[in-house]
Amino acid sequence: MNIVRYSLKTALKSIWQEKWINFLTILSISIAMSVIGIFAILIMNIDSAVQHWTRNFGVVVYLYDEITEEEKLKLKERFDSDEDISEVSFTSREDALQDVRRALGGNAVIMDDFNVNPLPSSFSLTLRGDLLKPDIVMEKAQIINAFKGVEDVQYGEKWLMALHEFSRALKTGALAVCAAIFIATTFITYNTIKIFFYRRKDEIETMKLLGTTRSYIRLPFLIEGFVIGFFGGLLSSGTIFALHSFLTSGAASFMPAIDSYLSVMPVAIYILIPAAGALMSVMGSLIAVGKIRY
Amino acid sequence: MIRFSNVTKQYDNDVVLKNLSLNVDKGEMVYLTGPSGAGKSTLLKLIYCAERPDIGQITVANWDIGKIKQSTIPFLRRNVGIVFQDFRLLENKTVFENIALALRIHNLNTQTIREQVNAVLREVKLSQKAKTYPPHLSGGEQQRVVIARAMVSKPTVLLADEPTGNLDDDTSNSIIALFREINARGTTVVIATHNHELYHGTGRRVLHLNNKNIEQESIG
Repeated sequence: MNIVRYSLKTALKSIWQEKWINFLTILSISIAMSVIGIFAILIMNIDSAVQHWTRNFGVVVYLYDEITEEEKLKLKERFDSDEDISEVSFTSREDALQDVRRALGGNAVIMDDFNVNPLPSSFSLTLRGDLLKPDIVMEKAQIINAFKGVEDVQYGEKWLMALHEFSRALKTGALAVCAAIFIATTFITYNTIKIFFYRRKDEIETMKLLGTTRSYIRLPFLIEGFVIGFFGGLLSSGTIFALHSFLTSGAASFMPAIDSYLSVMPVAIYILIPAAGALMSVMGSLIAVGKIRY
Repeated sequence: MIRFSNVTKQYDNDVVLKNLSLNVDKGEMVYLTGPSGAGKSTLLKLIYCAERPDIGQITVANWDIGKIKQSTIPFLRRNVGIVFQDFRLLENKTVFENIALALRIHNLNTQTIREQVNAVLREVKLSQKAKTYPPHLSGGEQQRVVIARAMVSKPTVLLADEPTGNLDDDTSNSIIALFREINARGTTVVIATHNHELYHGTGRRVLHLNNKNIEQESIG
């Protein structure tokens, strides 16, 4: 019990005595942690943005011209009962022709060159948002393609692939930056604690000769590292909260589009950041204090 | 209490002690003397395990210095009080706190620490200086604080490395008198000094260290 009280007292005394170095360290950690926090928000929001961009993503099922009404009805029933499909709409050959004419506008006369309607009838399917991954969509398309009366299944595979590649690259990049900052934060505390350790070197040498154990020497430094990291993280949580509030209220009022991309910020992140800061700092302190030899 | 058996210690290629054997009994007060560089400090360092023997065996209060684990060294040192020539007092702590540190590491409660530190301060006649910081003390007073710090945890062995090195004769005599008192309570005391006036006429065993070994043993 006394060792904890002594270590706490020594650590708090040192924090106060070296308040400027500690303040700058806390500030550095908070900046680094804020960047980690922003990237964490980014990672969390990439999925919501991808879902937002792909919410109208559809699979078009083209049917053979010879398909019977009964087969068409059977297909519709299958699509309606499929839990993976959220929306089903049918476009007849005539409707498709009308759509093309509408799209061509003034150039619609070129469609008159066709003696017969060249367009097939089709089903437009909207898949559930969480299924919009290239491999899942491809598998679904293959299954539908094998249904009787289906000539072809088309979906924006290149676009979907590109979007997922982009999201994956962004996530990997964000994780790499987070890892780099994680190491940097550990290094910031390492440097500060190393300075304190060297400043107290004579004292530590004397304590060792008096019979002080390693844990007795180390604990104040670890507590100091913990406090520095925790407060750095806390400051960062405040910054992120302010930033998120600004984006969701301030920025969203003049850029409404941004609001739909921002997912709700989990409260846990405000606790996780100080905890991560404390953990990284304790790690840095542990490395700084190193192996104490007698 | 302290036993050296054929101990050799060298730094790189410089042999400091060679094939040295000695025995200090429990409750004995021994002087270790010899010219500068004879290896007095090294011998003391071997006792409190700041150094390890290259060859031979050392036992201090049943601890084998050659085999002792790093994690056990603090517990050996709690049984060995050390008085340094350069005092090694913590300048940012008061006299009281400097002495209390030796007890804090024993995990004693505040009340016990206060009582024991005050008692030892009375013994070394420094009660009035309890709240003073070391830089404001004279050399003799600082040395008495160091002795108080070394004896407060009631060690079984007390080592002193040139304890009167920078002190005048009167102060030196008062310091030696303190060691005698400590020894009288049963603590084994080893004093390394090159000042023969300190041990002359004491009737104590004197070990003369020279040429990497104990060259001569006499009674002071």
